[in-house]
Amino acid sequence: MNMNSLMIITDQRRVGGMLNAVKALGGPITAAVVGPRSLADTVSAWGFERVLCLEPAQGVPAEAYSAQVAEVAAAIAPRLLLASDAASSRMLLAAAAAKLNANVIGAVRALSVDGDAIVISRSTADDKVLEDIEAAGSVAGIFSGADVDVITTQPVSVEQIAADSSTNMRLIGVVESEGGNGMLTAARVVGVGAGLAAKDDLKLIEELAAAARAEIGCSLPVCEDLRWLSEHRVIGSSHSQVSPELYIALGISGQPQHMTGVRDAKIVVAINNDPEARVFKFCNYGIIGDLYKIVPALISAFKNMNG
Amino acid sequence: MKVVVIFKWCRNPQDALVGASGNVDWPGVKMSANDDDPAVMDIAKVLAGDDEIVALTIGDGDIAWAAARGAASTVVVTDALTDVNSTATGAVLAAAIKRIEDVGVVIIGDSAWDYGIVSAFVGQLGWPAMAAVTSAELDQGSLHVTCKMGGVSHVLEIKTPVVLAVMATQTEQSEPSMKQVLMARKKPVEKITIADLGFSPNFAEVTSLRTRFPDTPPAILYDGADPASACKQLMAALHNDGVL
Ligand SMILES: Cc1cc2nc3c(=O)[nH]c(=O)nc-3n(C[C@H](O)[C@H](O)[C@H](O)COP(=O)(O)OP(=O)(O)OC[C@H]3O[C@@H](n4cnc5c(N)ncnc54)[C@H](O)[C@@H]3O)c2cc1C
Repeated sequence: MNMNSLMIITDQRRVGGMLNAVKALGGPITAAVVGPRSLADTVSAWGFERVLCLEPAQGVPAEAYSAQVAEVAAAIAPRLLLASDAASSRMLLAAAAAKLNANVIGAVRALSVDGDAIVISRSTADDKVLEDIEAAGSVAGIFSGADVDVITTQPVSVEQIAADSSTNMRLIGVVESEGGNGMLTAARVVGVGAGLAAKDDLKLIEELAAAARAEIGCSLPVCEDLRWLSEHRVIGSSHSQVSPELYIALGISGQPQHMTGVRDAKIVVAINNDPEARVFKFCNYGIIGDLYKIVPALISAFKNMNG
Repeated sequence: MKVVVIFKWCRNPQDALVGASGNVDWPGVKMSANDDDPAVMDIAKVLAGDDEIVALTIGDGDIAWAAARGAASTVVVTDALTDVNSTATGAVLAAAIKRIEDVGVVIIGDSAWDYGIVSAFVGQLGWPAMAAVTSAELDQGSLHVTCKMGGVSHVLEIKTPVVLAVMATQTEQSEPSMKQVLMARKKPVEKITIADLGFSPNFAEVTSLRTRFPDTPPAILYDGADPASACKQLMAALHNDGVL
């Protein structure tokens, strides 16, 4: 059976992870980029068989082209349609999935083939387990698995698609987050949670961040309830998603709303005095102990390392 | 403008019981309001103004939840549940919306509990849609919607009809009073079944084969009783991983 795939791409996030997953199906993979031409040019060297590019008109969001993307999907008739969990990608996938009469499955982490069927492994039950689902027909998956680095190849030529001019939505303003947001691109982030006892103790966290050359982020209560740090520092599903090499969670229990925001971190370290804290199930390394005792030792360790 | 809110369309994944072999069970777990549902109601009230808010839910959750937060009436598709096939759930929700006349805006929580259902619903309804919506308002008759896009927010002018998938940025600020909860139980409820929606789902089969624990290794935990030693071990491990 033909295992051709179509990937809807609105930004670079998770494209490497999606490609890695889709390759398991063995068929040709087409990219439909709905975004700037530069994005299409970048992914054209990532091993896709075809790269299509629909560049939104000035001031028109990607979502406005849902119907057009659905037409593109219908022409390609992929067995698998895949998009990342980015908001605009999910909305574009919605229309295309309906057009293809494909079954929509969220939280996709891996793909495989069993005979004529596609087997989708999706995360379920609060990320505690994977569920393997067999789909006989076409499938539209929303991918939230880990990103992986892409090996670049000889680029294919990008096929430009003229964007429809009629649109039902237009951009009328952009609100930047106050204070800028170095955290979003930082290589290291130290996240502080409600385990911190007093606002003054933020000095200790600042000292750690300086020693580790990290940006400071926080959980929602540190901003919303305690008002110690501003909103742009909040990490989590409803605020910023970060993707540092190293994330250190201090006094953070690890609720899903927070941990979603660090899913793309390469290494997560948790420091918590409760051995049962949820965060220890979703980190790479943990230190069970009082942050007031661990953080000074960690500051020394980073200072020693930096010489 | 008639506003329809969709609430309690999924079970809380944290309520799932996971057995020792990775098997999943949902003993007595009902449909639950997700984190975004209160924000759905807040935005619905802003957009509806003096018009009525109609609420839609599926399955066995507390039907009065949205009524206690301002919905005038509630429709419940009693025999619809969520399962591995999000498209079936999305199709039920879309068919139920199509029965309601003159709808300008449908608002649903953009919940990571199951992004699949949100997308399936949007696709099945076939209306323009925006996700990650954090606020919306009517400005001289036109709909202005603010959406979170990474580190910035975009303000869009959108023509109706439209679906807004709303993302809450804070916990519910004011829960309904006991009086509001009691009054809500007196508001009209229309109970329907999938058969009443007059459609037969025609989707290729999807079958859950198994659930299993992921093969990611468990975290390496250090005892913090000796902070210096714990940090030394941690730094060595981070070095090995190439992140220092
Ligand atoms: C609509 C909605 C959106 C949300 N969005 C987000 C979001 O984007 N980001 C987010 O973070 N949250 C979000 N939340 C909140 C989320 O549900 C949790 O409440 C929050 O993440 C918990 O923050 P916390 O871990 O800092 O606090 P807690 O859960 O109170 O945890 C504090 C932790 O500190 C530990 N601790 C205490 N003292 C010490 C000590 N001396 N040393 C070491 N450890 C110690 C405790 O053991 C505990 O585990 C959202 C909630 C809702 C309803």
